[in-house]
Amino acid sequence: MSSSYERIFNLPLGPQHPALKEPVLLDLKVEGEHVVDVALDVSYNHRGMEKAAEYRTYVQDLYLIERICGICNIAHTLSFCQCVEGLHGKEIPERAKYLRVIAEELERIQSHLLWLGVAAHEIGFDTFFMYIWLDREISLDLMEEFAGNRITTSYNAIGGVKRDMTPEVANKMKKGMDKLEERVKFYKKVVLSERTVMKRTMGIGILRRDAAIQLNAVGPTLRASGVDMDARADDPYAAHSLVPFKVVTDDGCDAFSRIIVRLDETLESINMIRYCIEKLPPGPLLQRLPRRVPAGDFLTRVEAPRGELVHFLRADGSDKPYRYKVKTPTFSNLAPLREMLRSKGKYVVNVADVPVILASIDPCFSCTSRNEVVKSS
Amino acid sequence: MDVISSTFQLFIFPGFLFFILLSFLFEWVDRKLYAAMQRRIGPLYTGPLGLLQPIADFIKLIKKEDLTPKYSDKKIFNSVPLLMCALMLTVMLILPVAGESGVISFTGDVIFAIAAMTLFCILIFLAGFSSMSPYPLLGAERAVLLLLGFEIPLMLSIAGCCIASGSIEVSAIVSWQASHGWNIFGPQLLGFAIFLVAIQAELERIPFDIPDAEQEIVAGWMTEYSGRKLALIRMARNLELVFMSALAATLYLGGPMGLAPHWAEGIAFPVYFLLKTVAILLILTIIRGIFARVRIDQMVAFAWRYLIPLSFLQVALTLIWRLI
Repeated sequence: MSSSYERIFNLPLGPQHPALKEPVLLDLKVEGEHVVDVALDVSYNHRGMEKAAEYRTYVQDLYLIERICGICNIAHTLSFCQCVEGLHGKEIPERAKYLRVIAEELERIQSHLLWLGVAAHEIGFDTFFMYIWLDREISLDLMEEFAGNRITTSYNAIGGVKRDMTPEVANKMKKGMDKLEERVKFYKKVVLSERTVMKRTMGIGILRRDAAIQLNAVGPTLRASGVDMDARADDPYAAHSLVPFKVVTDDGCDAFSRIIVRLDETLESINMIRYCIEKLPPGPLLQRLPRRVPAGDFLTRVEAPRGELVHFLRADGSDKPYRYKVKTPTFSNLAPLREMLRSKGKYVVNVADVPVILASIDPCFSCTSRNEVVKSS
Repeated sequence: MDVISSTFQLFIFPGFLFFILLSFLFEWVDRKLYAAMQRRIGPLYTGPLGLLQPIADFIKLIKKEDLTPKYSDKKIFNSVPLLMCALMLTVMLILPVAGESGVISFTGDVIFAIAAMTLFCILIFLAGFSSMSPYPLLGAERAVLLLLGFEIPLMLSIAGCCIASGSIEVSAIVSWQASHGWNIFGPQLLGFAIFLVAIQAELERIPFDIPDAEQEIVAGWMTEYSGRKLALIRMARNLELVFMSALAATLYLGGPMGLAPHWAEGIAFPVYFLLKTVAILLILTIIRGIFARVRIDQMVAFAWRYLIPLSFLQVALTLIWRLI
């Protein structure tokens, strides 16, 4: 035993590493090419946003909360607005609810396409990566037409949304959705037929159904383990109770089924956007709400592209939050990530698989970082 | 006169200068085609169509700060880039560019070429190990595993050519092809395919770029290199690319020989050489563009399970062909 122990050495992956888009330290214990254990340190990007939110008014907080995450900014503002609206006890206009769903699903499309590109890059398939990112531009351009900006959109407002959807934009959106659907179906065909992609992702990063539930995985990571759980279906918000959609699951439990789940979810989102444009009710966009929020606690669950996003607000009757708490999907997926990265019995993790597994949960570490650990020595 | 002409041959054409410029051209072709495959534009601004971009990159790298890690084995670490360039430039001289034989030609220069390829791998291994850092260490380990997987099929496919023409001299293989038809039309077709796969691995290009897989081990065995040394390593690898494609063209596509009136041979042969090597390069780049990177264990399994039996089969076929 001791002889095998000496062959184990540390391979620090990060905090700066080409496979990582954000700083995180994966301290791998490696035996040859096999990963034996891993220690995770995600606290490189603490921005003190929860505390900062307490010093700003609700209107100012809207812009702060939006900047928790660039890619899922709509999911964050949506959660924040829902918290505030919930404490007021006011319903927002029907039209705004539908527009929120469109914005959210459009964001999901661009996030999933971004992720698919990154995943292709991690397995060394750069051609695929470039193709996907060029087509992602379609969704970003639509976002710009629809909300005014490509990424940080400032679309949601407390009590509704800020911008209406004109018939021209609706037409463009329909055309864009047709194009995107065709491309996404093509990518699905590529993924299902390209042998090198399958070789690199099948049987990699296995997370069994019971382990996924036990370790509190969320989002596509959870659904790829065969668990039918989606905040949009389980706890409908905005217009989700009115918009039909299918919760996509897959029983593969590996990185490959996570790709398939995300691709199918993109197709579902495209259909949801089409339905919303079709059924968009007339009416006002915004319900004016008072600046002071009644005292109380409110918790919302929103299905962000990466998984279930939880926001908690405690208000004390003033125009500033008393306490604001955010739990991002990546945080929930960290424990499952560690499970996936450890070799156990017949399940072997190679160093070459680590970036693929890491990418398979679609991590977003700067959103997750909530504390800073300073070593005293 | 003889001294002047041989000096010209050694240093200018078809010697060092020609091959170095060719290596820059090859990098440009490779980058441009790879970009086109990815719906990008590729190098564009330096020179016409970005033709001078590889040279600009080379000069830029030379100007950069040159760092040597504190705990590295400095003698080996510093000499590897030079040795790589020297090795590649030396072995280039056996390539026939303007005629049947290269600048130097002797019996057994095919074996010299094979030895040089293996030596290049050993230099990669030395570069990784002298760096004394985890990523280069893993990269070097992977490079050696790659060598174990692909050196044998490479040698066996070259052996097929040698058996077919009954010689281990490059010029003899070229002249045999001139009279009997290119090697690729015959039992060597299989050998040609094996050779292309094996050199793709030897050159560490996708899907076999395992020793410098960016997403896994940063730059692999090159991680600690910077500045001048990195520039030299990049040049050596470009030269290796030229050498491997030229060797494929020489062994399978009849080298520089082709239809030309006697008085125009001096111009026609180098042009044929260029066309054939660039054709090989295009195949290599297309392979690079359409695959994902395989894992090291999958790669070794692929080499031993399919490539090596196939290359033995190919040698056997060639022997039977020759006996008939």
